Amino acid sequence: MDSQVYITAGSWVAAMLRSSTPLMMVTLGETLTQRVGIVNLGIEGQMLCGACVGFAAAAQTGSPELGLVAGAFAGVSLSLVHAVLCLGCSANQIGSGIAVWTLGLGLTSYFGRAAIGGKVSGLASIAGPDFANVPFVGPILTQLTPVAPLAIALVLFAGFWLYRTRTGLNWRVVGESFDASRALGIRPLLVQAQAIVVGGLLSGFAGAILSVDYTQTWANEMTKGRGFVAVGLVIVARWNPNLVLPVVLLFGLSEAATLRLQAAGLTVSPYLIGCLPYVVCLMCVVIVSLREDRIGGMPAELASVFGRRH
Amino acid sequence: MSAGRLGFLMACGGAAVFLCLAIVFLLAIGRPPLTTLAQMALYGFGDSYSFSESLVKATPILLCALAVILPARLGLITVGGEGQLYFGALTGTAVVVAFPDGPAILLLPAMLVAGAAGGAIWSGVAGLLRARCNVNETISTLLMNYIAVLLVNYFIYGPWKDPESLGWPATIPFPAAAIVPTLFGTRVHLGLIAGVVAAVILHVGVTRTRWGIALSVLSGNRKVGVMAGFSFVSQTMLVMAIGGMLAGLAGICETSAIQGRLQAGISTGYGLTGFLVAWLSGQHFLRAVPIAILIGGLIAAGDALQLYSKIPSDSATILQGLLFVAALGASGLAGRWSARHG
Repeated sequence: MDSQVYITAGSWVAAMLRSSTPLMMVTLGETLTQRVGIVNLGIEGQMLCGACVGFAAAAQTGSPELGLVAGAFAGVSLSLVHAVLCLGCSANQIGSGIAVWTLGLGLTSYFGRAAIGGKVSGLASIAGPDFANVPFVGPILTQLTPVAPLAIALVLFAGFWLYRTRTGLNWRVVGESFDASRALGIRPLLVQAQAIVVGGLLSGFAGAILSVDYTQTWANEMTKGRGFVAVGLVIVARWNPNLVLPVVLLFGLSEAATLRLQAAGLTVSPYLIGCLPYVVCLMCVVIVSLREDRIGGMPAELASVFGRRH
Repeated sequence: MSAGRLGFLMACGGAAVFLCLAIVFLLAIGRPPLTTLAQMALYGFGDSYSFSESLVKATPILLCALAVILPARLGLITVGGEGQLYFGALTGTAVVVAFPDGPAILLLPAMLVAGAAGGAIWSGVAGLLRARCNVNETISTLLMNYIAVLLVNYFIYGPWKDPESLGWPATIPFPAAAIVPTLFGTRVHLGLIAGVVAAVILHVGVTRTRWGIALSVLSGNRKVGVMAGFSFVSQTMLVMAIGGMLAGLAGICETSAIQGRLQAGISTGYGLTGFLVAWLSGQHFLRAVPIAILIGGLIAAGDALQLYSKIPSDSATILQGLLFVAALGASGLAGRWSARHG
């Protein structure tokens, strides 16, 4: 009886981790990008590109690992458009992000139709079926693929790197004051370009995880606004990589809970349940925005882009 | 260099960059670039039928562009045209579903008012969150787009599904009393006239009235504006609601005049295209009208190319993205130049 409870709890945790892995990656990427004072709404398009290219590469080569790498690079190449527009041409960041999204949307629906109906095999799970009956960790290890622990490790590493290393400090300085960082001898444009590319890498990777490992299909617009949800969650996590993990996991828990409730016989239209991630994300943003002045955390350079205060 | 000349150079430079990008794209998909571009111009504006189809596409785009430009006059960036369009279609359709046998004299205005009100409410929520809770309007409108589309899906797959549609997710066909009138025997409907009239009224409103001064002072320096007696909260609510009203009107007109029933895919990204048009026009109401017609032509040509040349119509989305990239780059560089050289 007791072991049954542990197994159920374990599969809950596994389901939550599995569904939140792509979101964790893309939220981390956007957190790092925004930390240097750049908002990139194009991560939605970069994620789509990563999902599409990653899926096509995995289907062609039969190797999910290659698919993930290809997806990450697709995200990087699209993020370069944002870097050139924002840094090279001083274009408006919000406009540029929407342009990158439009490009990603168009390119993936155009070239993605060749990939529709393709077959991929996802990554192997961490442990074989022999472990399935081990209490709690059994279901987690048998249902999870290595990308979930990788995402968690990346988030933890990013938190350590940003607050405990010299280059992390440089990034934070650029985000707080572009001019001060220049006076300190940091090259702020270079740092911002690096941050945009890192954001592109992680969002492309996240998209590829979604298509190659999680759903194992490709469909038009399959990211369904996860990139924008990530932008909202960055605000909720106060631009702090250490808070990305709890925020994304809480979000994933609410998603997993609704799926489980539905499976348990709660008859609510899937379209209404589909609204939930956006509603929850919006409500979280509202709650933290109400306390904006008290909790702070926004990099000062962002205020000129979208953080106008009262 | 004068501002006018800089603006002209910027437009020419942007157009040249766009043409280069478009040619590279067409070469990449293995199409003869110049022939295809000429074909697109022909399919967009070549004869009166193509032109009328371009105007049909331009109508929701223009209304959604106005829904972006007005908040931009207060310094707000909304990307919510798509959601407002869908929600307006939903509330407008609610009237038709509730009173399918109403007389045209009542049903048609009630449907249009309900559609506009729906868009205003959807956009007003984002405005309220911005004004009262300091929630960034770009994020809230982006998220609400997805909610509105899902709500429409809920109703057309659920409570409003027409049992006679043989499983196709759609409401009952709109009765003749609920069809927005079309013009000159084409598919061009009254929404286009509403859009042009709205553009003129809003242009006069922001350039010639006290209200326009309130918007420009508040967007320049909010503290000064508040000291001058203007309210940021009520102006935010007002511009968001008026913008949403126009996008909602686009939604119900599209549903009634073009589709004839509420079904999935009433909009093929008109909200996003409207955002592009607003930026191409430099957030200018009157300039948005010809630009919306041009982009409407691009989309209509994309559909025609799919039909005749077997190029998927998604190519129009890619071209829009490239156009946006070129325009943003040009305007960014022009802004940098004028900042440096006064």
